[in-house]
Amino acid sequence: MILFMDLVEFWNLNTAMDFSLLHQNYFKMFLPEVFMATSILILTLFASLIGTSRRLGYPLFIQSLIKLCILVLLITFLLVHNTSISFMLTYQNTFIFDLLSSNAKQILLIATISCLIVSEETILRHQINNFEYLILILSAVLGLLFLIISYDMLSLYLAIELQSLCLYVLAASKKDSSFSTEAGLKYFILGSFSSALLLFGISVLYGATGTTNFDNFYLLLSGIKLNDFLLTPSIEKGLLVIFAAFFFKIAAAPFHMWSPDVYEGSPTSSTIFFAVVPKLALFAVFLRLFQTIFSSFEETFSFALLFCSICSVIVGSFVSLRQKKLKRLLAYSSISHVGYLLLAFSANSLEGIQSLFFYLIIYMLTSLCIWSIVLSLDTKTNIERSKTLIDLASISHSNALVGFTALLAFFSLAGVPPLAGFFAKMEIFLAVLGSSLFFASLIAILSSVVSSFYYIRLIKTMYFEKKEENSYVFFVNRSCSLVMGSCLFFLVYFFVNPSFLLLLTQSMALCLF
Amino acid sequence: MFFLIEYFPILLLLFVSVGLASLILGASYFLGVQRPDTEKVSVYECGFDPYEDSRNKFDVRFYLVAILFIVFDLEALFLFPWAVSLGYLSSMGFWSMVDFLFELTIGFIYVWKIGALEWE
Repeated sequence: MILFMDLVEFWNLNTAMDFSLLHQNYFKMFLPEVFMATSILILTLFASLIGTSRRLGYPLFIQSLIKLCILVLLITFLLVHNTSISFMLTYQNTFIFDLLSSNAKQILLIATISCLIVSEETILRHQINNFEYLILILSAVLGLLFLIISYDMLSLYLAIELQSLCLYVLAASKKDSSFSTEAGLKYFILGSFSSALLLFGISVLYGATGTTNFDNFYLLLSGIKLNDFLLTPSIEKGLLVIFAAFFFKIAAAPFHMWSPDVYEGSPTSSTIFFAVVPKLALFAVFLRLFQTIFSSFEETFSFALLFCSICSVIVGSFVSLRQKKLKRLLAYSSISHVGYLLLAFSANSLEGIQSLFFYLIIYMLTSLCIWSIVLSLDTKTNIERSKTLIDLASISHSNALVGFTALLAFFSLAGVPPLAGFFAKMEIFLAVLGSSLFFASLIAILSSVVSSFYYIRLIKTMYFEKKEENSYVFFVNRSCSLVMGSCLFFLVYFFVNPSFLLLLTQSMALCLF
Repeated sequence: MFFLIEYFPILLLLFVSVGLASLILGASYFLGVQRPDTEKVSVYECGFDPYEDSRNKFDVRFYLVAILFIVFDLEALFLFPWAVSLGYLSSMGFWSMVDFLFELTIGFIYVWKIGALEWE
């Protein structure tokens, strides 16, 4: 809206032609975000006027609101897809538009649309009738979109706050469940602690250099010998603190304590969103910060990076051996996958970054598949309690296709050959070996053997264990099964023909070098 | 370490504020006439005794009012510096604030319609 006013103003002032053209381009670039912000406002107004109208009898319109949200996300996706300019810095270099940001935005929007389609049935079944729930999901996505394009510490911090405030409320959205409230509170306290760390790091960097802009950092540090540079110690300290905040947000191992509790306590329709969507945006912006802007400091943080990645892989693999609850187990498994991603990051090469994006996209596909299966595990008897591993038992009899999908998805997470998960993992290890990190890759490979044990144990539960009680299973609706099926298709397809994904991830990784 | 001279005004401000505060408090402590009674030293304004068990329940509506107060108080916080510096801003600055107020109004309508402003 601001941008539109800006445009009008420049027309009115009748300034030089090239200048107004510049602002026209600003508007074109921001069109997806402006569209999304405007539709969030309109949906809020619409929902709060209709939902409280006595004349209409306080209608429940959550299902149509879900459809509207999917429509908004779809139109935003089309707008992002059709932006023509391939590189641009706007608003005093606060925002960047390049191939990385546009591809990441498109993947993120598709992931959110699939999450909404998959969790529609669950939202209705668990009677989450607050329309704020969907508005908050949309606002979180808006925050993530702004996070992807941010090119300044201030816009980065504001975007992170926008998305995480929405996520805290989404975690606590089941007000009558004490687990959900506890999850929201834990997420809020630890999340705001990490935001404070981030802000502290930013302020140290600002104190040392006097700027918050990525471009200025880059210009300041280019061609400087770090050893006899006056500001090196304070920049190093600031970067390490920002690193800690980043690890908090993506739940890497020494900073992971919040994630199992939050995944377990919050309603599953929020958990699927936490698990699938935000990691890509966080990785996109922090890779830009550490890999491109502060690449000359890589000796400082390479040790921290390797330490955290090895920690995450080990903790994720060994702790999940003892988990009985399904969502906790998946949370620990996501910690170990973050470990592999950080391992690829610490390879510090083009192949490493490319394999990181490749792995991340495949992981998003797989976890979308798995979480939609978790969502479809509700039966008449267990709908209120949290799911344990035994709820998976004999799913191959009650719903054979869902069982088969789960089988392939878990095999792909474990990295078994005819699936895309194997290819992604192999690429990461090749990149890491290319950077001569032999010991780290040895530990990671051994831990991945350990983690394949509990994936295979889950498959054993699904196929070879009998459930005592027989209870009515809810039926997986058409659109949800369509999403599950297409995820499965791509998991097989990207093993046979990964060239599309390889080209996509390479174009994303090349933006960072 | 570096450029510490830049922070000298802040140090000066620290000294002046500590000095001024202790001067005012000390003057009223030593020079003022003090005849305390129960009514005078009791809690006023907020209605809660500050020195009691902190694990008391009190109504969630207090929190709600406090949060709404923060939201609409921040609006004023943004408005004052904007109003002072409006002369230096382009029309972009003006319309940004109009946009902000517009979005705040939508929030206000939401709060009103949802019934958060009703005490009973």
